This record gives sequence, structure tokens and C-alpha cells, in this order.
Amino acid sequence: MQITTRSWKMVLPALLALVTLVIWVSRAEIKPVIKIGVLHSLTGTMAGSEMPLVDAVRLAVEEANQSGGIKGAEIEMVVADCRSDAIYCAAQAEKLITQDKVKVLFGCWTSACRKAVKPVVEKYHHLLFYPVQYEGLEQSPNIIYTGAVPNQQIIPMVNWALQHQGRRVYLIGSDYVFPRTANKIVESLLQAQGGASVLAERYVPLGEQNLDAVVREIAALRPDFVLNTLNGDSNRHFFQALQKSAISAKDIPVFSTSLAEAELAAMGPELMTGHYAAWNYFQSIESEENRAFVARFRKRFGEQRVLDDPMESAYIAVQLWVNAARSSGSFAVETLRTHLGADTLSAPEGIVAVDAETLHLWKSVRIGRARSDGQFDIVWQSERSIAPAPFPFFIPTGKLRDIEKVAR
Amino acid sequence: MKIVTRLLLMFLLLAVLPLAIFSYVNLQQYEASMRDETLERLAGLADKKVIQVKSYLMERQREVRIRARGPEVITAINQLPTLYLAGTRHAGYLRAEADLHKYFARYIEETGLFYDVFLITPEGEIIYTQKHESDFASNLLGGTLRDSQLAHAFSTVRMTLEPVISGYESYQPSQMPALFIAAPIMDGGRFKGVFAAQLGNELLYRVATDATGLGASGEVTFAQRDGDDVLYTTPLKYRADTQMKFRFNAQAIKLTPTFEALAGNTGEGIKVDYRGVPVVAAWRYLPELAWGMAVKIDVVEEYGPVYAQRWRLLEMLCTVLLGVGLIAWYFGRQISVPLSALASTVDQMASGHLEQRVNESAPGELGAFARAFNRMTANLQASHASLEQRVEERTCELNQVNTDLQHNQELLNETQHLGKLGSWELNLVHGDLLWSDEIYRIFELDPDHFQPSYENFLNAIHPDDREKVNQAYTVSLQNQLPYDVTHRLLMADGRVKWVREHCSSEFDESGKPLRSFGAVQDISLQKFNEDNLRVAAVAFNTRDAIMITDANVNILRVNQAFEDITGYSLDEVTGKNPRILNSGRQDKVFYAQMWQQLLANGSWSGEIWDKRKNGDIYPKWMSITAVKDIVGQVSEYVAIFGDITARKRAEDEIRNLAFYDALTGLPNRRLLLDRIHLALSASARSHQSGALLFLDMDRFKTLNDTLGHDFGDMMLVEVGRRLQLCVRETDTVARLGGDEFVVLIDELGDHLEEASQKVALIAEKIRAQLAMPYLLQHHEIHSSPSIGVSLYRGAGNSVDGLMKQADMAMYQAKDAGRNAVRFFDPAMQQAVETHAQLEADLHRALQDQQLYLYYQIQMDGEQRAIGAEALIRWIHPIRGMVPPNHFIPVAEESALILEIGAWVIETACAQLAKWKKDELLCSLILAVNVSAHQFRQRDFVTKLEEVIARFAINPERLKLELTESVVLNDVAAVVTKMHALKALGVRLSLDDFGTGYSSLAYLKQLPLDQLKIDQSFVRDICTDPNDAVMVKTIIDMAKNFRLNVIAEGVETRAQLEFLQQNGCMAYQGYLFSKPVPIDQFERLVQEGNS
Repeated sequence: MQITTRSWKMVLPALLALVTLVIWVSRAEIKPVIKIGVLHSLTGTMAGSEMPLVDAVRLAVEEANQSGGIKGAEIEMVVADCRSDAIYCAAQAEKLITQDKVKVLFGCWTSACRKAVKPVVEKYHHLLFYPVQYEGLEQSPNIIYTGAVPNQQIIPMVNWALQHQGRRVYLIGSDYVFPRTANKIVESLLQAQGGASVLAERYVPLGEQNLDAVVREIAALRPDFVLNTLNGDSNRHFFQALQKSAISAKDIPVFSTSLAEAELAAMGPELMTGHYAAWNYFQSIESEENRAFVARFRKRFGEQRVLDDPMESAYIAVQLWVNAARSSGSFAVETLRTHLGADTLSAPEGIVAVDAETLHLWKSVRIGRARSDGQFDIVWQSERSIAPAPFPFFIPTGKLRDIEKVAR
Repeated sequence: MKIVTRLLLMFLLLAVLPLAIFSYVNLQQYEASMRDETLERLAGLADKKVIQVKSYLMERQREVRIRARGPEVITAINQLPTLYLAGTRHAGYLRAEADLHKYFARYIEETGLFYDVFLITPEGEIIYTQKHESDFASNLLGGTLRDSQLAHAFSTVRMTLEPVISGYESYQPSQMPALFIAAPIMDGGRFKGVFAAQLGNELLYRVATDATGLGASGEVTFAQRDGDDVLYTTPLKYRADTQMKFRFNAQAIKLTPTFEALAGNTGEGIKVDYRGVPVVAAWRYLPELAWGMAVKIDVVEEYGPVYAQRWRLLEMLCTVLLGVGLIAWYFGRQISVPLSALASTVDQMASGHLEQRVNESAPGELGAFARAFNRMTANLQASHASLEQRVEERTCELNQVNTDLQHNQELLNETQHLGKLGSWELNLVHGDLLWSDEIYRIFELDPDHFQPSYENFLNAIHPDDREKVNQAYTVSLQNQLPYDVTHRLLMADGRVKWVREHCSSEFDESGKPLRSFGAVQDISLQKFNEDNLRVAAVAFNTRDAIMITDANVNILRVNQAFEDITGYSLDEVTGKNPRILNSGRQDKVFYAQMWQQLLANGSWSGEIWDKRKNGDIYPKWMSITAVKDIVGQVSEYVAIFGDITARKRAEDEIRNLAFYDALTGLPNRRLLLDRIHLALSASARSHQSGALLFLDMDRFKTLNDTLGHDFGDMMLVEVGRRLQLCVRETDTVARLGGDEFVVLIDELGDHLEEASQKVALIAEKIRAQLAMPYLLQHHEIHSSPSIGVSLYRGAGNSVDGLMKQADMAMYQAKDAGRNAVRFFDPAMQQAVETHAQLEADLHRALQDQQLYLYYQIQMDGEQRAIGAEALIRWIHPIRGMVPPNHFIPVAEESALILEIGAWVIETACAQLAKWKKDELLCSLILAVNVSAHQFRQRDFVTKLEEVIARFAINPERLKLELTESVVLNDVAAVVTKMHALKALGVRLSLDDFGTGYSSLAYLKQLPLDQLKIDQSFVRDICTDPNDAVMVKTIIDMAKNFRLNVIAEGVETRAQLEFLQQNGCMAYQGYLFSKPVPIDQFERLVQEGNS
């Protein structure tokens, strides 16, 4: 009699625990999932630049899931390989939207890629977060641009170079829409500042490896500085050629728009030591938020990893979207856009805010000189965050229209 | 533990505890939902506020952008630096400054939007300010201001070439906090300087801190980071004069919403504000100013009702506790009293009282038990019965008397208890005092421990009333009259009871008192009710109107505030249905919903528009509560409401400030853009077409300049009014600024062709309306609109594109001679783009030396060369020869005409210098055309003087040809300038004479050397008698004024002969030569001579 009572006393709690477990497990199984699409090149000439961005997005997604996902739903990444091919990327975007039913897209690096994906997201009234600095002159209700526009990167950089290096400029870039448009803007800028001249303007195909001829010309013309809008692997070959011709950063400094810590780490930082780049974010920024961000990233992906501007932009893109989705409780583009328009965020680069009118970000501007360890010393930074101006004010309307034609 | 106590505890446990728990949970939920609602409301208000502040700043930035691109600023930045270098006290600078000052005066002083404006050179030199504070003529890159926000804004503009808004900081030259908006000044693609404006603080504060909708304690605060500190930037409600002075260490205010906002976060919740007071708040970050904004309301105000609810609940619980306790006690007694009676009876029996019987009246088992027990006792007693019978019979009678007496006594006692009325009797001879049981109860004294005495009686009386009672009794004995007094009793635990006491006394013949007897009645409850009524009456007289109706919604009572607000008196509304207050603004559905909610929840509150007795319609905030009786039936409705007209008005005003044009009250650009957005997305869904009309008033600027801005403003208001009359209420009429209006018409059907016809009708109606005379303060003013229309349908239109198209169409309408309507078509866009291309090319033309001067020979009567007219030619590398009538108008629209004009003069003078050395050519006079723009340049004369000096030419060889359009403007100034030119020695000729409206009156004033007869007259000189007469008249008139005459466009010998016969002295035309390059011209002269 006594034994039966005692065993009951043990069985009952056990039974209760079992029931609770079963209920919990079944509930966990039906936990909803929200898919997001990630569009980056994992192969081809852009892979080196773009693969780290997928990791940045992953970190942001994992952190969002740890803090409860979106209204209890877990975020799941669907990663598509763009193969460094804009047209292929657009097809992948369409597939992610129509077949995988993703709620939002994060991706693209080159403007060519973005220009190809833009009609797709517009057609489906979808949403794309684009994380890289670009040439501006664009605005879409379906794209949030988290990278810099010219007045937040290239214009202050060139102005700084004009003030500190001199007025004879050599332009080198990859042959596609961003470098060509950016250089048109730079030409207007040189004209605006007066007395400056472009010694030469050269383009090589994306992925070009032989830049000896370009470097020979630079050696012959001896410009005060070189403005480099090369993208992808060509950068490594360009700096190698410079080194081979014994042109040092002291002689002819190169100012790059698309070279950040990640690329430096990949090509060997000593190649670029002493040269310059302008970004909104550098890994070396001294702030609590940034130190924590770097630590979190390294804890997740390895201590030797480096962070850079496009990665940070990709990371905050996810945070902005998660904030908006959480506060609006909706994935409808119109609703999200209203909430995004008022979104502010304490980001690693400082406070950023979405500009409701242009759907670009308010960002701080920094110019850095590369150190031999692959990090940058910041030589200039803007007093406050700068409003995005995708359509530069200083260029006369008629001329702007001409440049837009190039951008198209 | 006694049964009663146990039962009582059990009752409380079973009945009250669940009730308490239930109420608590309910209250918690209510509080949570109220908190959510409050936070949501605050978030909404915060978002609205952010939009208000942002749009205010964006509007100001837009104004700065526009000024920076305006011709006044561009002209100033081109001229001022040189004048500035020559000295700011120099006449040249002072003149230029005076003009600018006039231009900016209206913009700054009248609107109050801006405090000061600045022109800054690329080198950071402040060469112009409106206020002339100590910042004038200082340098922003060096000097004391180099760390000011103005300097930072300047540097950022220089680095980005974009307009920027500066940080907010105390600005030393103005001795107050300041915010600057700066924009680059671009001219012909060159960065020429920076235009900056200092925002007026008053309006900014007003827009930023307006706390409409936030209740009595609500406040909007702004703060910014300053190193480790946080600095409050705008005036605070609870601290006087604090803007930019009130600072905290950031760590010290970690709990404030401001701290959250400055960390870049967005959110809402319960926080503590700078005073340390708990607040409900929402916070936002403003990137434009790097300000953190907090919108907050004191928790006390916001959750006051909830706390009140908490108290009510507590009170209710206590009441229920008491009630339930009483019931439990009652039922407990039902059981325990018979039991203890039984026990005591049995006890007595045990001690031999067999005659005792237990009470059988107890219900249930207890009763049965008692009956059985009684039977047993009866049997036992039977044996004693006979023995006792006799004794009993004798005592029986006595007992009967006692019983009756006892019964009477009990009855009296019972009655006294019911009436709460106790009686007493005092034998004044023996001093015996008797109190009835009820007195003990009223005085709450225990009969077992207290002897009735006058002293005990006095002790029970409230100390303040003792004297009064004693006095009353004493007087009553003296006067031999009864007394009646109401006084208080003070209980042992401090409670106070009200009693009414009545007493009479009996006296013997000598008047000596024998006996007093009296009654004491507890009247506390009556007293309490009276007090309650008095309090209710006071509460009824609040500032809010109160209206009470019965269950059938007939008005029972209203208060004074009701009478004040509605204008109805109590008598007028008693018994009426409140329907008499209806304004008719709400529909049946509204009332149906109201009643539904009222019946379901027992209360309703909301905003409602009602009508006063005098017919005024006003908004009020009304809460209605249904009062229910004990059974839950509605017995009354209580409606409380306040007039919220004033609040509404304030809300409207602030809304207007951000979205409506202050002058006309029409939607402004921002709202318009919003509406276009909406219309376009609606059209994308519904495929309905719509149209955008752009219009401005022809020659409005002239009206403004001649009659003054007041007239201009009045006219704009009238234009706005007429426009609204022409369109449906659903269409949008907006003012973009200046005299530019936009009309947005949507839902024009899904057929584009039909829509375009409809719009054409509307546009024509508008044109006709706006072209009617305007009667402004007894002036009749004539004007007309130019209207451009662009149509849209379905997806694929952008707001910007649509606006541009309508704008282009409007300019087309202007070009077509004004007072016209033009629809946009793609060819128009093409033309505009071509135009832009031409302008761009023309810039290059100057740099690349694609412009040339051609020379057309001028002859005298003997066909000898006397000079030439220099004519500009543009040889474009791709287009070939571009005719002057194509590119000169383009040049005239931009500032290019000045550069071209200067180049022409320069080239002509260079040519004259070369000719000086040639004995044949040195006598020729070279005529140069001067455009109106060029002539109007302030330094035209000095420049010309400089050129003449530089080439060391004889000024008499240079002739300036002015058109009538030059002369028509501001005759006095023109005359002065022409005299100055004459003083240099150059000759002046009036070009195209006869085509304009030159009046003889001022022709006389002009120091001219020559009139040039326009070629249109010369052409038909031999065929059209009118022209012949005209030419004769001109020649005669010239002779009278002692002016030289030259005829241009002479192509035939017949024309030459006619002119010669009528006394013309010089000729120019294809008959002699067309305009030719310089070498050909020189050859021509030499050949003619040889």
C-alpha cells in the first residue's frame, strides 16, 4: 500500500513532465519560418569581394533569430550564387521571389548587377537591400541603398585629394556602368573646382589581369594622384604592376573607391600600403559598438577574419529590415517602406538613418590611408552624418541628364 | 475556535478570495491595454512630430537651394569679391550691397523664417551678411569663427558640394543659439562660393515644441550630444530659459527617453524625464540635426484614471468583505445559538431543573435532537410532577405576571432597537438613572461594566458638544420646558455618531424637579446622506458639462457648465431628448455604433460635433456612462463633456503650418507631392487617368515690383480662390511658391482620349476665370495664366517626371504668347533637351573659340565705306553654322550672354586697334550690338572703359547699337548710363528703330548719335505706302533731333534711291555686301577704294 502511493508520487510528476515536453516539441515543430533571399557572387571575379557579405548577412540573421526572430518566426536565408554575371543574377532574383517566396532580397555588388535586378524587384513590388557604394543617379521605391552615394564617398575623397595631392588626375576603372558614371561626375567636379585636369581616362574589362600598359602610362604621365574605380580581381594585378614598376604610394598615391579591408586581406596588404580609400566604415573605427561588432563577427567566423564597409552595410541592411518588420508586423512593401523611412540605428559606423525621400542612408564619410597590416588610418572624417544626395546638386541639370544617359 | 469564527473564515476564503483575485487580474489587464493604447498614441504623435520638424527643415533647405541657384545670388558672387577686396566702405561695394539687402529684406525680416544670410567665397571669406554682425568680413577657415557651426557647414559644403544643415550651437556673433543651412553656389558648372542662411529660432522652437494633443503635462524635448554631455536645445516647459544652457552628463540621464533617442534608437515606454518625474514617452532620432527627440506625458496624468480605478476596486472589495462577513456571521449564529442554548439548558437540567425544556424550534437535526431530548426529560419529570404540582400552581400566577412584564419589556426593547431610539429615566429624588438596552448600544457601552450615570453619559458626548448638552438640560430644568438637541457622540475608537436627544421633566407644585425622562436617537445615517448630497451638489458644478437622463434618455438634470456651453437652460431641456443638441454632422451609423458600445460596455467616449442653442456648431469630447441599479437595469445615463473647439483650432494650425501654404491656405509642395504619389498609385491599380496642371500668372513679377508685395499677395489669394471654384472638391489645388500653382485632377475615366478632352475643358475654364480682371483695393488689375497640362494613367509614371512634363508644357504655353493652355507632348521634351544640349555646346563654343565676328559694310551716300556692323557667328564643329536667332535667345536665358557680349566688345576693340595702323581702315567706325542684359550690368561702363584703354583705341571709332528693349527699362538709369558712355567718347545708335514703342518724349532725353531704320520697313519701302511714309517720318524726325540715320537691309537699287531722295545718309545691306569674315571685309574696303 505504502509502495503504491510512493510510486504514484513519482510517476505523476514524470507523466506531467512528459506531457509538457510533447506539447513543447510539437509547438516548436510548427514554429513558422520567414525566408529571405541573398544574392551574391560565390564564383567568378566578384566572389572575393562578395562572399564576405554573405557572412555579414548571416551574422545579422543569426543575431535576429537569437533575439526572438520576427514575431516568433525564425528567419531563414536562401543564398543564390550570382556567378559574377548580372543577367544570371536577375534570373536568380526572379526565382527567389517566385519559387522560394522570399520576403526580401539582400544583395548585388556591381551596379551592373543592381541595374539588372532592379526591374525584377519593381515588377514584383518586392524589396532589395543594396549594400555597396555606387554612382547614384538612381532611386527606386523597391530598393533600399545602404551604401554610399557620390557625395558620401567619391566627391569628398576627390576634393580631399585635390586639396592635398594636386590637380593632375589619372582615371582608371573597370569598363562598366559605375566607373564610367563615377568618372563623369568626377569630371564635373574637377570643372567645378577649376584648374584641375584629367591626364587620361582608361577602362579595362571586368576581370582584366594585364594592367602593365596602364601602369606604363601612369609612369610616363606622373599624375598627382590616380583615381581607381577598378572592381574585383583587377585591383590585385593593378597594384602588383605598380609595385613592379617601383611606383610608390609616396610618388603617386592611388585613391580607390572599391577596395576595402577584405580585398586587402585577400591580395596581401603590403601592396596597397600608403594608398588611400574612402568609406563610411573602417574596421579600425574606435567605438564601443564597433569593437563589439568586430568581436561578435570574429567569434562566429574566426579570429583572423576582417570586416569592411560593404560587409557592415550588408549587416545593417538586415538590422534595418528586421526593425521595420518587427515594428510594422508586416512584409508588405508599402508598410515596410513607411517604417523604414523613420528607421534609425546605432550602427558600427555610428548612427545611421534612412532618408524617407530617397531611401538611401545618412552616413558619416571617412578617408583612410592603408597601413601595412591591412587596416586604415583615418585621415579625414565628416563632422556629422551626411544626407544622401543621389542626384548631385552641383552638376547643372543639362549635364546631369547627359551623365544619366551614361548611367543607363 | 468558535464555530462562528470558523464559518466566517471559511466564507471569506471561499467567496472573497476568488473575487479579489479576479478583480486584480481584470485590473491588470485593463492597465496593460491602457498602457498599450497610450504608447501607441504617443508613437503616433512622435512620428507626426518628426515629420513636422523634418518638413519644416526641408522646406527651409529648399528655399536655400532655390536662392543659391537664383540669379541675384549668382550675380552677387560674381561681382562682390572684387568690390569687397576694394574695400567694404567703397561706393561700388555699398551699391551692390544695398541691392542685395533689399532683395533679402523681405525674405528675412517679414517671414521670420531666417535670421541672417551669408555669402562666402570658396576661400571662406564672408563677403556679405544681412545683419552685419561681427561675423561679417571674417574668414571661416582661419580666425575666431573657424570652429563655429557655420564654418563646419561651409567646410562640408566645400567637400561634398551639396546643401547641408549645420549643427546647433551658441553662435557668438549673434549671441544666441544658431542653426545654418548652406548650399554651394554654382555658375556655369564652377563652384563660386557658398550661400548660407541662419534659421530664425522662434519659429523653429514653435514648430518643434508644440505639444498639441499631449494633455496638460505633455512636452516635446530635443537634445544633442556635446562631448560627454547632453544638451537640451529647445525651450523646456518646466525650466525657464534653458535652450542650449541645460546640460547633463550623459551617464546621469540614462533612464530618460532623451538618452535612448540620442543613441539612435526609436521606441516608446515608461521612462523618467529630466526632472526625475516618471513619464510615458516616445523617442526618435533626427539625423538632420543629430537631435534626440522625446515626446512625453507625466505618468500621473496619463494613468490617473487607472489609479482611481484601483482605489475604487479596493473600496468595493472592502464593502463586499463586510457584507459577506455579516452574512457568514448571521448563518453561523443560526447554528451556534441554538446549540449553545441547548448546551446551557442541558447543563441546568443536570443540576436538577427538570422542568427545563430545550428549544425545539431549531431547524433540521438540531430540532429533532431537541424534541427527543425533551421527550426524555418529560418522562423523567413525570415522576416529579405530582410532587411539584401544588407549588407550581401557586407560583403560576406570579410567573404569568412576570412573563407579561418581560414580554412588554422585550417589545419595547425591540422597538427601540428598530428605531435606534433609546430611552432613559432619571429619578431626581433618589438619583437613580435607568438606561434602556438601546442606549447602551448607541453609546456602545457594555451594560455589564457600566453603571448608568450622568457622568458616563457626558463622557460619551463629543467634547465639543458637552457644554451644549449640559446647558440645554440645565436650562430645561430652570424653565420647566422639554428640550430637543442634536449633538455628536465620540466613540472609544474615535468614530463620531450623530444623535438627537429629547427630554422632558416632571416637577412638584413648588417647581422642584422630580423625574426626567428622555430619548436618544442615532441619526448618523441621515446625517451622512445629507452630507453626501451636499458633496454631490458641489461636484455637479464642475467646468465640464454634466447631463443626466433617465433610462429612456429624457433629460433629468444638467449643471451650470452645460447651460454655459450649450446655451440651453435646465428648464428648456428637462424632459427632452438630448437629440436637440445634434448638429447633423454625424450620421446614423455613428450613433448606432455609439449606442452599441454604450449598451455593451456601459460607457462610451469620443469626439462629437454638436450645435449650441444659437446655432454654432462645435466639437466636444464626451464620455457617457450608464448607471445601473441593483438588479443591473440601466437607471440613468450620465454624460460629461467639454468644449474642445480651442484644442481643435490649435491642432489645425500646426497641421497647416507643415502642409499648407501660409498665404493662401492651399496645400503646399509637400502635401501636393504626397497627393500625386497617392493618385499615381491609385491610378496604377485602377487604370483611371488623371492630369496635372501647372500654371503661373503672366507678368506677376512686374505686378509685384510695381504695385508692391501686398498687391501680389492679395492677387495670389484670389487666384487660389478662383482655382478652387473651377475644380471638384476632391481635386487638389496647391501652391508651389511664388505665383506657381498646381492642380491635380484624378479619376477622369479609364479612356485617355476622353480624359484629355475633359481636362482641356477644365483648363480652359481655369484660364478664362483667371484671365478676368482682379479688383484689388479699388485697383483693377489684368493678368492671365499660362497653363501646362500633363496626363497620366496606369503604372509607369514618376512624380518627378510628371511634374517636369507639366512644367515644360507650361513654358510652352508661355512661349506661345501666354494666356494659353498647352498639353505636354514628347516632342516638347525633345525640344527642351535640344535646348539644353545647345546651351551646353554654347559654353564650349566660347572656350573652344567657335565664335567669330562677321562684318557687314556700311556706306555713305557716295557709296564710300564709312564703317561696319560686327555680327556674331557660331561655327559648330558638327552642326555647322548656327544662326544667331537660334543661339542668342539661349544665351540670353543663362548668364552666357554676358560672356558672349564681353567677348564681342573685346574682339571688336582688338580689330579697331589693328585698323589703327592702316590708313584706309583707321577711319572706319565699328558698330557692336549690346544686349539688354549686358547693358544692365552694373560695371558695364567701367569694363568698356578698361577695354578701350587696354587696346588704346579711339573711342569715337566704336559705336554701340542698343535695342529699344534696353531703353524701355528704367529710363532714368538708362539715360545716366548712356551719358556716362558718351563721356567715354563712344557713339550710340538705336537699333531696329520703329519696331518698339519708343516714345518721342524720351527719345529726346537719350544722348544718341544715330537711329537705325529697321529692315522690315526698308524691305517694303517701294511697295507699301505705309512703310514709305513711316521711313520718311523717321528720317525727318531724326533730322529734327539732329540725329544721323542709317537704313539697314538695303537690297535693291530702288530702295537705295528712295532712301537717298528722302535724305537718308548711310546704308547697310546685301546690295553692298553680306556680313563676311574679317579678311574678306578688309579686301572689300580696299577694292571699293581703288
